[in-house]
Amino acid sequence: MLTAIVFLPLLGAIIAGFFGRQIGDRGAQIVTCGAMGISAILGVIAFIEVALGGEPRTVRLMNWISSGTFEVDWALRFDTLTAVMVIVVTVVSTCVHVYSVGYMSHDASKPRFMAYLSLFTFAMLMLVTADNLVQLFFGWEGVGLASYLLIGFWFHKPTANAASIKAFVVNRVGDFGFALGIFGVYMLFDSVQFDVIFAAAPDVAGQTMEFLGFQWDALTIVSILLFIGAMGKSAQLGLHTWLPDAMEGPTPVSALIHAATMVTAGVFLVARMSPMMEYAPTALEVVTVVGALTAFFAATIGVCQTDIKRVIAYSTCSQLGYMFFALGVGAYPAAIFHLMTHAFFKALLFLSAGSVIHAIHDEQDMRNMGGLWRKIPYTYAMMWIGSLALAGIPFFAGYYSKDIMLEAAFGAHSAVGTFAFWMGIAAAVLTAFYSWRLLYLTFHGTPRMDQHTFDHAHESPPVMMGPLVVLAIGAIFSGFVGYEHFVGDGEAAFWGASILMLAREGGENILEMAHHVPTWVKLLPFVMGLIGIGVATLAYVLRPGIPAATAKAVRPLYLFLLNKWYFDEAYDWLFVKRSWQLGQIFWRHGDQSFIDGFGPDGIASMARALAGRASALQSGYVYHYAFAMLIGVSALISWYIVFGG
Amino acid sequence: MIQALAFYLFAAVTVASGVMVISSRNPVHSVLFLILAFFNAAALFVLLGAEFLAMILIVVYVGAVAVLFLFVVMMLDINFVELRQGFARYLPIGAAIGLVLLAEIFLAVGAWTVIPVTADSSITPIPPMNEVTNTHALGALIYTHYVYLFQTAGLILLVAMIGAIVLTLRSRSDVKRQSVDEQNARRPEDVVEVVKVGRGGGV
Amino acid sequence: MNAVTSLPVMMPASAEIFLAIAGMVLLMIGVFRGESSLRFLSYATIATFAVAAILVVTQGGGGEAFYGLFVSEGFAQFAKILILIGSAFAVLLSRDYLVREQAGRFEFPILILFATLGMLMMVSANDLMSLYMSLELQSLSLYVMASIRRDTLKATEAGLKYFVLGALSSGMLLYGCSMIYGFAGTTSFTGLAAVFAAQTGVVPLGLVIGIVFLIAGLAFKVSAVPFHMWTPDVYEGAPTPVTALFAVAPKIAALALFVRAMMDPFADLIGSWQQVLVFVSIASMGLGALGALVQTNIKRLMAYSSIGHMGYLLVGIAAGNQAGVTGVMLYLATYIFMNVGTFAMILAMRRDGRLVEEIGDLAGLSKTHPMMALALMIFMFSMAGIPPLAGFFGKWYVFMAAVDAGLFGLAVIGILTSVIGAFYYLRIIKIMYFDEATQPLDDAVSQDLRVILYGSAVVTVLFVLFISPVYDAAKVAAISLVGA
Repeated sequence: MLTAIVFLPLLGAIIAGFFGRQIGDRGAQIVTCGAMGISAILGVIAFIEVALGGEPRTVRLMNWISSGTFEVDWALRFDTLTAVMVIVVTVVSTCVHVYSVGYMSHDASKPRFMAYLSLFTFAMLMLVTADNLVQLFFGWEGVGLASYLLIGFWFHKPTANAASIKAFVVNRVGDFGFALGIFGVYMLFDSVQFDVIFAAAPDVAGQTMEFLGFQWDALTIVSILLFIGAMGKSAQLGLHTWLPDAMEGPTPVSALIHAATMVTAGVFLVARMSPMMEYAPTALEVVTVVGALTAFFAATIGVCQTDIKRVIAYSTCSQLGYMFFALGVGAYPAAIFHLMTHAFFKALLFLSAGSVIHAIHDEQDMRNMGGLWRKIPYTYAMMWIGSLALAGIPFFAGYYSKDIMLEAAFGAHSAVGTFAFWMGIAAAVLTAFYSWRLLYLTFHGTPRMDQHTFDHAHESPPVMMGPLVVLAIGAIFSGFVGYEHFVGDGEAAFWGASILMLAREGGENILEMAHHVPTWVKLLPFVMGLIGIGVATLAYVLRPGIPAATAKAVRPLYLFLLNKWYFDEAYDWLFVKRSWQLGQIFWRHGDQSFIDGFGPDGIASMARALAGRASALQSGYVYHYAFAMLIGVSALISWYIVFGG
Repeated sequence: MIQALAFYLFAAVTVASGVMVISSRNPVHSVLFLILAFFNAAALFVLLGAEFLAMILIVVYVGAVAVLFLFVVMMLDINFVELRQGFARYLPIGAAIGLVLLAEIFLAVGAWTVIPVTADSSITPIPPMNEVTNTHALGALIYTHYVYLFQTAGLILLVAMIGAIVLTLRSRSDVKRQSVDEQNARRPEDVVEVVKVGRGGGV
Repeated sequence: MNAVTSLPVMMPASAEIFLAIAGMVLLMIGVFRGESSLRFLSYATIATFAVAAILVVTQGGGGEAFYGLFVSEGFAQFAKILILIGSAFAVLLSRDYLVREQAGRFEFPILILFATLGMLMMVSANDLMSLYMSLELQSLSLYVMASIRRDTLKATEAGLKYFVLGALSSGMLLYGCSMIYGFAGTTSFTGLAAVFAAQTGVVPLGLVIGIVFLIAGLAFKVSAVPFHMWTPDVYEGAPTPVTALFAVAPKIAALALFVRAMMDPFADLIGSWQQVLVFVSIASMGLGALGALVQTNIKRLMAYSSIGHMGYLLVGIAAGNQAGVTGVMLYLATYIFMNVGTFAMILAMRRDGRLVEEIGDLAGLSKTHPMMALALMIFMFSMAGIPPLAGFFGKWYVFMAAVDAGLFGLAVIGILTSVIGAFYYLRIIKIMYFDEATQPLDDAVSQDLRVILYGSAVVTVLFVLFISPVYDAAKVAAISLVGA
C-alpha cells in the first residue's frame, strides 16, 4: 500500500507522458487524476495507521548502491512526519490535478501538463518518504526537474524560459550546499541512513572538522550546509529570487509546487534532520535569523507588488520564513503544523487567484481588476477564507499554527528567538495588510478593466470550484482539528520518534514553554492582524488617495520595496555579469584561441593546407608522375643505404 | 684472343649505336641505328654459342619489328624537335636522379656477394653444348617447363590484339568500300534504264 | 636436360584454365554475333565467374602446378573468391552503363574476363616470371578498358597515362626481378625462400635494391604513394564502371600478390623491406586522407579514398605476421562491398539522363531519394571505419596486427589519418542530408544498380553478424601462407 502511494503518480505520469497521444486529452486527465485520487485515499489511510495508530514502518524496495561501506537502499520510511507530508502532498496534489482539468482546458498539450504534475508528485513523495539522504536528494532533484519543466511549460514565452532557468540555477546553488552537507554527513557518520545518523548524533556532537582551512564544530557545519540546500529549495532570504519569477508557470503549478509542497521541502528537511540539528545550536540560530529576516523582508515586498500571483508568492516566501524561525527555535512540530495549514490556505489562495485570472482572460495585474465580487461570488468567498486563514484570524487554520510559532519564538527566551518574535509580529501586520489590499483591489472598487472583459467575466466551472471547496474546508478546520495532535498535549504521542526536541532549562521542551508565555503574547498576533486589515480598509476603501500619497511621500522606500530590495539587480551585477565576463574570457581566449586554435581548428586548417599541396602535386603531366615514381624509388633506396641495416 | 677482340668490337658498336638511336635528330636514322644494334647483339649471341637466338633476333627484330618501326616513323609525321621541348628543363633533375640511382647500383655491384647456396644453382641450368642443341634446349624450356608462361604470353598477345582492334578499328561511313557480293548480284535490269528520248527534248 | 614426356600437374589451375578457354569461346561468340551479343556475353561472363569460383572452392587443398610456377592454396583460394566477386559486380555495374551511353562493345566483358584471369594468375604466381606475366595480362586488359570510350578525350588520356606509367612500373619491376635473380640465382619463390632461409649474415645491398624495385612495381599496382600519381587521373577519366572495376578486383589481386611476395620468398628478409613498407603505408594513409579533402569530383575522391585504404592494408603487410595477413584478407572482404556499393551509387547519379560526378550533385539526396542516401551513408560510415559497420573490422584487425608486431607508431598514425579521412566521408553525408538540392537526380535507376546498391548496404550493415566465419576463413587462408 505504501509503495502504491509513491508509485501510482509515477505510473500516471508515464502513461500520460508517453501514451498521451494514444489515450487523448481526456484519457490522460482521467488516468493521472485517478492515480492521484487513489494515492490520496491510500495516503489518508496510511496517515491513520502510521500517525494516529503510532506504527512507524519502513518498506525496503531494493539495494541501490553498494560500494565499500557506502550502502544506499531504495526504501520508503513511513513515520508520523512522513505521513503528515504524504497526506498534504497527495491531497493538495489531487485537488490541483482536478483543478487543472478546468484551468488548462484551453491549452494544447494537456497530457504533457498532467504528466509533469504527476511526475512532480512522485518526486515529492520520494523525497518525503526517503530513508536516507541520497534518496532524499534524488527526490529533491526530481522535484527540481519537475519544477523546471512546469515553470517553463509555456516554453514559447521567453519570460517563462528565463524564469525556469533562473529557478534551476538558483536551486543549484542551494543543492551544492546540500550535496556538500551529504558528503559531510557521510564523513562524520560513515553512513547516509537516517537511523544510523540519528543514533550516532549525540556522540558526534562536539567533534570538529576542517572546512575551508578552519576548524569548525562538525555538526554545525554539516547542519548549515544542509540548511543552505533547504534555503535554495524553500526560497529563503538570499536564494529567494527564483520564487516570484516562477509565477510564470501555470497557476495550478504555482499552487502545488511553489506554495504547498516543493518549497516546503526545506522545512521538511530540517525537521527530518531534527535529531541531528538539535545538537548543533549554532546552526539553529542561523536558521532562526534567516527565517525571521525572510518573513519580514518578503512581507514588505508583498505590500507593493501589483501582480496578483506575485503578491501571493511573496506571501509564501514570508510564511516559509515563519516556519524556519520556528524550526530554528526548536519548535519543529509547530513548523510542520504551519506547513500543513499553510499548504491548504495558500493553495486555496493560489487556486482562487487562478480562478480570477481564468475569469478575466489571463489578466494578472491587480491594477486592471476591481469590482469583481458580484461577477464571481464563490471565488470571492474562497479568497476571503484563504485570506482570513493567512492573516491568523481566530478559528481559521492559520490562527493556530501562526500563534504557536510566534509563542515558541517568544518562549525560547533567547536573543534570536525574541528577534524572530518581533520580526514575526511586524510581518503579521504586513501580511494582513497586503492580503486585504489584494482583496480590495481585486474585488472591490470600480472595474478597471475594459468593459468587454468585465462583461464576460464568469465564474469558474465546477471542476475548478470543487477542489477549492476541499481546500477551503482544510483552510478552515485543519488548524482546529490538528492543534491537539501536532502541538498540543498529544504531540509526544503523535510524533513518536520522528522528531526530537531536547529539553531546555527547567526540563520543559519548547512547545511547553510556548504554552506558558504571557497572555499578551498570545493576543498580539491577532491584534496585529486586525490592525493590518484596518489600515488596508482605510487606504483602499475609505480613503483611496492614501496609497499614492504615501508612495510619493516616501518614494525611495517605495521604490526599494517595489524593486524587491534590489536583490535581482545586485545578483545580476555581482554574479551573472561577472561569470558572463569570466565565460567570455575562457571562451575567447581559453577555448577559441588556445584549445581550438591548437586543437581541432588548428589541425583542421593544417590538414586543409596540406590537402591543397597534395592535390597541387597532381599536375596531370605524365612525366611529372614518372619523375615522382623515380624519385620515390631512389629516395627509398637512398634511405635504406643511409639508415637501413 | 680473337674471341675477346670480337666481343669488344661488337659490344662497343652495340653501345655506340644505342647512343645514336636516342641522339640522332632524324628518326629514320634512329631506326637504322637500332637495326645496327640488333645485328651486333646477334653477333654477341653467336659468340656465346647461342646461334638460335642470334638468328631469331635478326629474323624477328630486324626483319619484322625494325622494318615496322621504319614504316611507322615514315608514315607518321612526328616532329621530334617539338617532342624534345622541355628536355633541357627537366635535364638537371633527371640527371640527378639518374646519377643517384647509378651510384647506388655501383655500390650494390661493388659489394657483390653471391650467396653460397646460389652459387650451385646458378651454374647448373646450362646443359653442356655438345649434348643438347640450342634449339632443343630452348624448346624443352619454353614448351615444357615454361608452358605456363608460354600460354600466358599467348593470352597477353590475344589481349593486345583485342585491344588494338577495340581501340582503333572503326567502320567509317564516309569511305567507299568494295562489296563483292553486291557487285555480283547486280543485274542490268536493276540499274540500266532504257529511255526513249523525244526529238528536240532532253533526257 | 632430360626430355619430359608426361603432362604437367594442372588441376590446381583448373579455374584459370577454364576461364581462359571460356574467354576465347565467348570472344568467338561475340565476334560472330556482333554487338547485339553484349547482354548475353555479360551474363555468360558472370556465369563463367561463378563456375570458376566453384572450381576454386572444390579444388581442396590445392598445391603447386606447372612445375612450381603456379601455386594454389587456402590463401590463393580466398583471394580468388574475392576477386571473382568483385569482377562479377563490375560486369553487372557496366551492363546498364554500356547500354545507356551507347558505348556497347561486346569486347568489354571479354576484357574483364581476361583481366580477371590475369588477377587469378597473379594471386597464384609462385615465380618471379609468372608474377610478371600475370601482372601484364591483367594490366594490358585494364589499359584497354580505361580508354574503351576511345572517342572521349578524358578516357583516352586516362588510358594513355595509365599505359605509359604502367610500362615504367613494369620496367622497375623487371629490373628488381633481375637484380634478385642475379643475387639469389633463382626466380622461384620456393627456391628464393630456401636461399634466404639458409643465408646468414648481412643481406647483400643489390638484393635489397632489387626488392625495393619490386616493391615499387607492386606499389604502382596497388596505387600506393609515391607510385599513386596515376590513380586520381585514371579514376576520373575512365568510364565509371571501369573505375569501379579498378577500385576493387585489381586492388585485391595486387595486394594478395604483394602479400605473397613479401611473406613467401622474402619472409626471412623482413628487416629489409619492413621499413620501406612502413614508409609507403604512412605516405599512402596520409595522402589518401589529405588529398581527398579538397576534391569535388566523387570519382577522384574515391581514388584518394582507395589510396588511403591501400595504406591501411599495407599496415597489415608491414606487420609481417599471420595476424597482419588475416587482417588484410578480412579488410579486403569488407572493402569489396563498400566500394561496389559506392560505385553503384555513382552510376546511379544521373540528371536528365546524363551521368554527373560532382559531390555537390548529391545535395538534398536524403529528401529526393531517401533509400539511396541511406545506403550511401552506410558506405561512407563504413569506409570511415565507424563500428559496427563492416569497414571498422578490417581497420581494427590490421591495426591490432601492427600493434602485435610492435609497430605502435604506424598504428597511431593510421588511426590519426582515419580521423582526418572520416571528415571527407562525413562531408558527403552532410551534403546529402543537410544541403538543399538545386535540381534532383533522376528517378529511373536500373534494377541491377538497385540490387547491387541495397545488397551491398545490407551486407555492410550485417557483416557484424558474420564476422566470425569470415574471420576464421581469413585466418585459415593466412595460416596456409605464413604458418600459424
